[in-house]
Amino acid sequence: MQKDEFQPNIVAFLCNWCSYAGADLAGTSRMQYPPNVKIIRVMCSGRVNPMFVVNALQEGADGVLIGGCHPGDCHYIQGNYFTRRRMAVLKKLLEYIGFDERRVRMTWVSAAEGKKFAEVISEVTEDIKKLGPVQKIRRANSW
Amino acid sequence: MDDLTLPKNKLDMFLNKIKSDYTVYAPVKVDDLVYFKKIEKLKDITLDFYNSKVPPKSIIFKQTETMFKFKQGLDAEIQTLDDKNKKNVIFGIRPCDAKSMSILDNVFEDDFTDPYYVNKRKNTVLVGVSCKQPTINCFCTSMDGGPADSKHLDVLISDIGNRYYVEIKNNKGKSLIDGTRNLFEKVTNNDKKKRLQLEKKSKDEISRNMKTEGISEKLDEIFDDDIWKSISLRCLGCGICTYECPTCHCFDIQDETTLSDGARIRVWDTCMNPEYTVHASGHNPRPARMNRTRNRVYHKFNYFPKNYNLIACVGCGRCINDCPVNIDIIEIINKAREVKT
Amino acid sequence: MVNQKKLREEVNTLISRNDVKYIIGWEKGSYGFKMKPFFITSSEDVDRLVFNPLCIHNLTVYPMLEEKLPLRKDATEDKSKIGVIVKGCDSRAIVQIIQEKGLNREDIVIIGIPCSGVIDPKKIERLFPLKSETPDIDEDEKNFIIIIKDKIQKIPKQDILMDKCKTCEFPNPLIYDTFIGKEIETVKNADYKEIESFEKKKLSDKWEYWENQFDKCIRCYACRNVCPLCYCKECMVDQLNPQWVRRSVNISENAAWNIMRAFHLAGRCIGCGECERVCPADIPLTKLNKKLEKDVYEMFDYKPGTNIEEKPLLSMFKPDDPEEFVL
Repeated sequence: MQKDEFQPNIVAFLCNWCSYAGADLAGTSRMQYPPNVKIIRVMCSGRVNPMFVVNALQEGADGVLIGGCHPGDCHYIQGNYFTRRRMAVLKKLLEYIGFDERRVRMTWVSAAEGKKFAEVISEVTEDIKKLGPVQKIRRANSW
Repeated sequence: MDDLTLPKNKLDMFLNKIKSDYTVYAPVKVDDLVYFKKIEKLKDITLDFYNSKVPPKSIIFKQTETMFKFKQGLDAEIQTLDDKNKKNVIFGIRPCDAKSMSILDNVFEDDFTDPYYVNKRKNTVLVGVSCKQPTINCFCTSMDGGPADSKHLDVLISDIGNRYYVEIKNNKGKSLIDGTRNLFEKVTNNDKKKRLQLEKKSKDEISRNMKTEGISEKLDEIFDDDIWKSISLRCLGCGICTYECPTCHCFDIQDETTLSDGARIRVWDTCMNPEYTVHASGHNPRPARMNRTRNRVYHKFNYFPKNYNLIACVGCGRCINDCPVNIDIIEIINKAREVKT
Repeated sequence: MVNQKKLREEVNTLISRNDVKYIIGWEKGSYGFKMKPFFITSSEDVDRLVFNPLCIHNLTVYPMLEEKLPLRKDATEDKSKIGVIVKGCDSRAIVQIIQEKGLNREDIVIIGIPCSGVIDPKKIERLFPLKSETPDIDEDEKNFIIIIKDKIQKIPKQDILMDKCKTCEFPNPLIYDTFIGKEIETVKNADYKEIESFEKKKLSDKWEYWENQFDKCIRCYACRNVCPLCYCKECMVDQLNPQWVRRSVNISENAAWNIMRAFHLAGRCIGCGECERVCPADIPLTKLNKKLEKDVYEMFDYKPGTNIEEKPLLSMFKPDDPEEFVL
């Protein structure tokens, strides 16, 4: 990790049954991936309200990743399908506002895909590094 | 105090001089609407407007005001903000909005002196501009005011053709003008005549009026009448009337924090919101829109007069202009007077 | 123009029924070009009912605004119906609310009026500034005829029609119990040209535009209160535990509010344009909501407020939903 390079903050909402377990597997298998990601465990990716995403971006996240089960494998049967629809709409809306929609990503990672998880995090971190820090809707907190 | 005139081509010189000593707030056109904003460049100022969307009380009683900052944790501390010595000028305020400041003074200087309001109020000079053209819903003359009323202003300027008629009302206004006396000229009888003509013409153009004698007592008698239900059925409870009203003053206080520090913020609130009166138990003493709409009318025309002997309405007409469903305070009060008791 | 006499007769029949609480229509406003929503509770009120091209309000916001206060002991719930007069676009709101199970079909009686367009109050006030007399309005094929104190003026419809009416796909109500007048032939298609040309702009230009717009927002929430589809018992901005959107007025919170409201209306906004009409800061909200309307149609082939049997957009899915953005 280079000291003076921009280090993004990435918030990842991972579903308990698949993508969080996948992240766990990446950890126990000692796979290397960038430490910029901060994980929030949710029971299902369908729990992720777009308000969470916007709030994360306001509070200082430079990128948001939502991890869910593969379609058809959701522990709650349909949750990930709803997330897929929601994120498609949200990304288009953010793009229209002038906010780079590449900062909000989605991924299907199963509990056995530790390697994929590490690869996804590396890819997303690289992408967000190129985009730079979020300035547009960040809370100033300067009062 | 003094009456002077200022040739129109000298206005910019005057404003430039005061801009170096004071922070000047003046009407600025944003697309089709006018707002009072801090002035960096004089050419942003417009005097060609009826009235601003948001009243200039927002400069003294800000919509979002930081009360104090603090640091959390082991080295906790509170930092009060220090803007006691900032001098401001609100240039281009209308007489009705200036009257609203005097009404708001009662609220913020009563048994508890609100330092945030009072400091700014003390350090702000109000330079008003007479109204040459009232709008359809102006009714300041019914509310003990007028389009060229200088009572609540520090300086009033009126456009009388190729010059401005300048009335200095008190010491605050005098100290503002003193540094630029050489720009001003003596008043002639012709100037005085034009000034009176301007006032008369504007007053004559005001077409709507509201009868306010005895309204407070009348409202006492009709609190439970059905008229409030029929008036408020169409109210959406949005808050436009409260946010555009120059005398509305309700606020909420919230803490905004990060992990390490934060600030206490005062923000405007609206009584049209059901959450405004919700208790911690969940009970809401004003559960229906009818209660809240009625409360707004009573606050302005009954409770405030009972406390301060003043009706808390200046007749600017903003609420009538912008209410989405045409709830009209003039119509309400005139109807209320006719309710049989 | 709708036959006002026939409308009044129909409303009279309806209010004389003993199972209808009140009927929501319009009456003359207090000045100028204003009309106001009017709650008819008995036959005596019917004479005040009007309908003309100045009746811009979407009255379908009121059935959901009705407060159900706690009943006193021994009191029974009032199960009477509410009547509402709707134009074409307004009726879509009712269809959408029933689709979401916000209302039952039996609770509401609908009088449908075919609408060929309403007058934009901001545009007409520019043409007739400071006029306080209420005019008479008539219309022919291409013009509105405004009569103020016997002075007649013909104004081309294109000049003062509301922008939403110029691309109206549904001039006839899609749901009604009674229909007053003749059906209007639909000739217009949904027009997303303005949205498409905005989409082509550079990202930073788009943000600059919206930043200037959101800076004007005073968070009065009129857009939310006038919207027939914003009927959440507790809006996300009023929630304090946790607080998602802070109450301070700055670009971050204003942007969050506008983005989230637009998102919550995805697949639900029916394009009545009331939000933009009431906004005191003149923020072009329909530009935002129409973008979502276009996306939802292109991605999921869904038009809100058109099919009462359909399931709401975000509570259903198709196995082949677009997922090219998913890693």
